[in-house]
Amino acid sequence: MTGSSIGIEIEGVTHGYTPRSGKPTVALDNISLSIRPNEFHALLGPSGCGKSTLLFLIGGFQKIQQGRIRTARGDVTAPGPDRGIVFQNFALFPWKTVIENVRYGLEKKGLKGSEAEARAKHYIDLVHLTGFERSYPAQLSGGMQQRAAIARTLAIDPDILLMDEPFGALDAQTRRIMQEELLAIWRRTSKTVVFVTHDVAEAVFLADTISVMSARPGRIKRLVQAEFNRSDDPHIHKSPAFADMVEQVWDMVRDEVDQARMQGH
Amino acid sequence: MMRLLARLSPIVVLLAVWEGAALLHLVKPFLLPAPHVVAGRIWKDVISGQFEMNAALTLYRALIGFAMACLIGVPAGILIASDRFVRWFAEPLVSVGFPMPKIAFLPVFMLWFGVYDVSKIVMVCFAAVFAVVAAAEAGTRGVDKFMLWSARAMGAGRYQLFREVILPAAMPQFLTGMQIALPVSLITAVAAEMLMGGAGLGGAMLAAGNYADSPGVFSGIVQTSVVGLVAVAGMTALRRRLLRWHPEFNPR
Repeated sequence: MTGSSIGIEIEGVTHGYTPRSGKPTVALDNISLSIRPNEFHALLGPSGCGKSTLLFLIGGFQKIQQGRIRTARGDVTAPGPDRGIVFQNFALFPWKTVIENVRYGLEKKGLKGSEAEARAKHYIDLVHLTGFERSYPAQLSGGMQQRAAIARTLAIDPDILLMDEPFGALDAQTRRIMQEELLAIWRRTSKTVVFVTHDVAEAVFLADTISVMSARPGRIKRLVQAEFNRSDDPHIHKSPAFADMVEQVWDMVRDEVDQARMQGH
Repeated sequence: MMRLLARLSPIVVLLAVWEGAALLHLVKPFLLPAPHVVAGRIWKDVISGQFEMNAALTLYRALIGFAMACLIGVPAGILIASDRFVRWFAEPLVSVGFPMPKIAFLPVFMLWFGVYDVSKIVMVCFAAVFAVVAAAEAGTRGVDKFMLWSARAMGAGRYQLFREVILPAAMPQFLTGMQIALPVSLITAVAAEMLMGGAGLGGAMLAAGNYADSPGVFSGIVQTSVVGLVAVAGMTALRRRLLRWHPEFNPR
């Protein structure tokens, strides 16, 4: 779908829910957001700001209560292979080996036999899991499991890659490596990425644009252009410009974290 | 091999103390026959084919009842977990039934199904089914939401979601329910036989007790435990085979 003029159009999306015990809560309040094709977009905010809910709505996993979300393929009403998703807890099928996990989506697309095998192998190589094709997820480290989950999602070649704090469960070193590799893959495959995180430095490092979200009710407080992800400098995160940007974004987030804390999160 | 011996040593110690107590005449042989006497009786039963026949009969009743409990219990648990109306209807029944002493229903089943195999098998099924239902329900309900969403995002439909994700994901819990239900099935089969008489391990023990044949009672207990041990080991082996992928068999 490259060349299409829309990536993701979010228009006036409001979303609420009523917990089993408690009063109705507005998770997202009149969100409008336009994400360009091939843009790397970060949704940044404190926990409880509805950033994951917004991601799940784009994915079509939850019903849109009010407003509208469109992609190049039309209105979002249900999940589909044009929008691949990667979760924080990997959500691999633990009874399938790495290659069987990656093949699952390919087989759903109608690929069979050696064709599916070759394609699965290609994406396993891409995420540097070569040699672990026949391992079960339980035999791999957290970082390797997330690589497998990313390979599984990339293999179905979605236009849009949705990522819900994908590196949140990983240790600091692994997270850094995964961030760099994700950028490398994104540059090569040119997908629209929506990346949910509460880590300011991660958002600044990865994203073209950062939506800084406010605490409940979730609103988009500011849009920040980061664009350090276009740099070839491997030490970009040590540059003064990068540090300034992190500080600046952190100031925007700080108020929201304080507010969220007062609301009991 | 050494580890097996080490694990068996408490039993060996217990047998030695028991044998010593018998040799020193610390207890009356009628109240507690010596292990070698019991072993002799077991050997006699094996040679005569008595043990094989009784064990086969008890296993037949226990395993048919167990299989019925699984065939009914797993689908019922899945249904309760996935359908709100079925859950509304069945959940109170399961809650009441689970802790109930099921053997109390034996006279009712005898009335309905006669005094031969059918009533015993129905008794076993009824006693075993609750554990299977409860575990299957918990397993189905506990399937990770994000795993289901992943499958849907890759294009899985409703039926595929059930067959390719929910069933394998809940399999460990299904097997756990069966592992609880299998010993329950054996216990219930033996108990029903002891209450109703006739052939089978329980019936043989009842007869031995009626004739004040204490070596017969004790050899019946040992025979029953051996049958139970073998059945449970078989179930564990099945679990290991089906769940090769599971973290419990893949320590990191």
